[in-house]
Amino acid sequence: MKLVGIRAAAIAVATTLTLATLSAQGRGGAPANTPPPTPKAAALFDITGYWVALVTEDWRYRQFTPAKGDYVSVPLNAEGRKVADTWDPAKDEAAGEQCRAYGAAGLMRIPTRLHITWQDDNTLKLETDAGTQTRTFAFGRTPTGGGTFQGASAASWDQPRAIFASPIPNRGGPQVRGGSLKVVTTNMKPGYLRKNGVPYSANAVMTEYFDRLDVPGGESLLVVTTEIVDPEYLTTPYWTSPHFKRVDAEGWHPTACTAR
Amino acid sequence: MTVFRNFGRLGFGIWALGFGICFTTLLAQGQTSQPAPAPAAAAADAPSGPAIDLSGYWTPTMNEDGMERGGGSELHDYGGFPLNEAGRLWALSYDPSRVTLRHHQCDAYVTPYQMERDPHTQRLVAIHWWAQVTEGHRVIWMDGRPHPPAWAPHTFRGFSTGKFVGTALVVTTTHLKQGWLRRNGTPESDQATVTEFFVRHGDHLTNTTVVSDPVFLTEPVVRSNDYYRAPVDHGTWLYACDDSEQIVGRAPDVVPHYDFGKQPYAREYSERHKLPLGVAWTGAASMLPGYADAAKTMTDAQGTALLSPAPGRPNETSKAVDPEPRDGEIHVLPIRANVYMLVGDGGNIVVQTGDQGAFVVDTGTGRLSEKVIAAIDKLSERPIQFIANTSFLSDRTGGNGKLAAAGMDPSLPGSFFVNSAPRAVTGLFADPNRHATIMAHNNVTNRMQDAKIPDEAVPGDTYLEERRRKSHNGDSIEMFYEPNAVTDGDSIVFFRRADVIVAGNIVDLTRYPMIDPKNGGSVEGEIKALNDILNRTNYEHEGEGGTYVVPGHGFLADEHEVVEYRDMMVIVRDRVKAMVAAGATLAQVKAARLTADYDTRYGSNTGPWTTDMFVEAVYNSLKPAPKTN
Repeated sequence: MKLVGIRAAAIAVATTLTLATLSAQGRGGAPANTPPPTPKAAALFDITGYWVALVTEDWRYRQFTPAKGDYVSVPLNAEGRKVADTWDPAKDEAAGEQCRAYGAAGLMRIPTRLHITWQDDNTLKLETDAGTQTRTFAFGRTPTGGGTFQGASAASWDQPRAIFASPIPNRGGPQVRGGSLKVVTTNMKPGYLRKNGVPYSANAVMTEYFDRLDVPGGESLLVVTTEIVDPEYLTTPYWTSPHFKRVDAEGWHPTACTAR
Repeated sequence: MTVFRNFGRLGFGIWALGFGICFTTLLAQGQTSQPAPAPAAAAADAPSGPAIDLSGYWTPTMNEDGMERGGGSELHDYGGFPLNEAGRLWALSYDPSRVTLRHHQCDAYVTPYQMERDPHTQRLVAIHWWAQVTEGHRVIWMDGRPHPPAWAPHTFRGFSTGKFVGTALVVTTTHLKQGWLRRNGTPESDQATVTEFFVRHGDHLTNTTVVSDPVFLTEPVVRSNDYYRAPVDHGTWLYACDDSEQIVGRAPDVVPHYDFGKQPYAREYSERHKLPLGVAWTGAASMLPGYADAAKTMTDAQGTALLSPAPGRPNETSKAVDPEPRDGEIHVLPIRANVYMLVGDGGNIVVQTGDQGAFVVDTGTGRLSEKVIAAIDKLSERPIQFIANTSFLSDRTGGNGKLAAAGMDPSLPGSFFVNSAPRAVTGLFADPNRHATIMAHNNVTNRMQDAKIPDEAVPGDTYLEERRRKSHNGDSIEMFYEPNAVTDGDSIVFFRRADVIVAGNIVDLTRYPMIDPKNGGSVEGEIKALNDILNRTNYEHEGEGGTYVVPGHGFLADEHEVVEYRDMMVIVRDRVKAMVAAGATLAQVKAARLTADYDTRYGSNTGPWTTDMFVEAVYNSLKPAPKTN
């Protein structure tokens, strides 16, 4: 073990040096006055197009509206359970609040199709046919739109650097190709995590990582790893990862929100 | 396994410093349980360095499918799985009591379900993976090696290769055993392949699993699982399992299952959740948006119809990969110690080598005998001394003549057998120095002589009752007679020290067993023979490994494949028996499609052994004997 430790330390030093060298080389190549590429031009992958949800997990909870009080696997605190137990869809309908389950924190788990486009060079637009909702993801600036069901979403391309620099050519390095679209959504109008009134509050913060996964010889998937932190109603972060399959426009069928 | 486990725990530092390839080499040398080809010359894009650090301890978040990952899924809830008819019927026929059977008690979880189920995933160190539930140990090969051939063994973890694509570790897994996609009997076949993506976001790990299964699914099913990084060792890795009697006195041919249309709890799920009967059984449609609206119109009659095979449809056929190489070559798969499986001549051949000369079990069809002999010559310095036949069928005995002629039996010259029973008398022991001795049950010899097979290909060393034994090359070899199984002359051959059973056509992983009532075969004898094999097998760990079983056709098996085959045989027998008892005709039995949940794995509508022929054989061996005055 001692020998292994010494050897490991030596290699760690070499690795760090290699990493630093390669990293410096990577930064030094661009002319000083060249403007950075726009988020659209710098996209790590093509997220645009139509995607359809594959509801293969929490199937009954997502395809059908569960009974009141059925909040299995959602880490609700006592206040959250209390609110969920008072769910009244008729009341929502009367108040014109049929879209409470279609807010940003619940929308991506609704069985829906997505249509993602670039609204401009700095803004992605995500539309759903279920509930006919629109989310916008703003890159490089403070997002607008707070106080709505879709809240305000700040986007960035999340490209982690490899932690390791291999001394062997073409065996990894500091710059990793690929990465995620990271979206942080705040200032949401309170809504439902599930259609049966499982609540999230205006204080909820949702962080999403959109990853495009191309199955070798097969289809393209969009996996949205999602963390929702809500100090008002949740005891711990609520993690889910709804996934979508790339499709064409056929089947796009906008519908209104339903409360039941 | 201990060695692997220790390397795994030491391996964190090694991996963290980029020594994954070195670590892979160590594992490759240690891996013996699943023979794999040597690593190919490194393909340009195959080996990949570490793009992200996945090492450490990970715990599932359990925020999705909490029931499934915790207490257990509800019976008959298959919603969101693109099951085909066979998959749906297999699941509906599944009785959870099946896990009380001795040979199912320690079944491990297959890789896709392990990821779904496992509450604690052990540190992922390069290609080395250890999970708590059923001690799921995986090796993900990163060196670009190809996957094993179709005739190599299958395991619960399968054979996995991986590479980094961008920030994702992409893993491809083949050679899985039959298992579950869900713990309520939603099946996954041994023909499934899996693509996994591991993506890390800070201290969160997302595992996306794409399962393709031509036997039970109409399209791939995509699942995703979330884990968070645990700062310390969970410390609960052991999951030792021993089987035992769960129901004392139960007959060995009982396999809990439900007959089509008679599932007693079929309505439970829909009634509990106030959903139409069958909404969770519609396969791929249930995954998509808009399904809830469509399901609202589903009638009780439509749901009830899903409990049974659709009437009037032709039988489905096997979607399994053909394990025969069909390249005109003989391929050698080392099984264990000095025992090998030879593949390529239309039926699996087993060779044991040693100082006393090769001991061969079955000789294939005979079309490639010269190449079989050449392959044996490479394995054995001594010529073939003994050939054992598990049956008289031509795919077991077709090469007898040539292989026997290539061998010699030095124990015979000058012995009582040759001196008192020369060829002129028996025709069987002539020229022992230029002829191996062929052994089989006496009925094999009778059948072959009746068929006018040349004497030199006919077994001369026969036995009549339950057992023939021989000590050879340091192993105790036993032949056990299995009366009235596929035919009336079947034997299994057990290499006790090597722990290898040669099952012949009693186990045929490419099709239903070719039960031949006209030559003494019977469904009851086949079931008894399968149980006799299971009475002699042992598993090494969590229901797999241990005793290897060489089927007549198909990949090298262990007891898990045999017990699944036995279950199939018992279930089909019970269904046919119930219809026979109700007075059904053969045509009615065939029309009922009683094998519908197995046809996509074993069925055929053409060739020498069709599903209809199998059903007819089962029917004929169960129908009452005609009354005689």
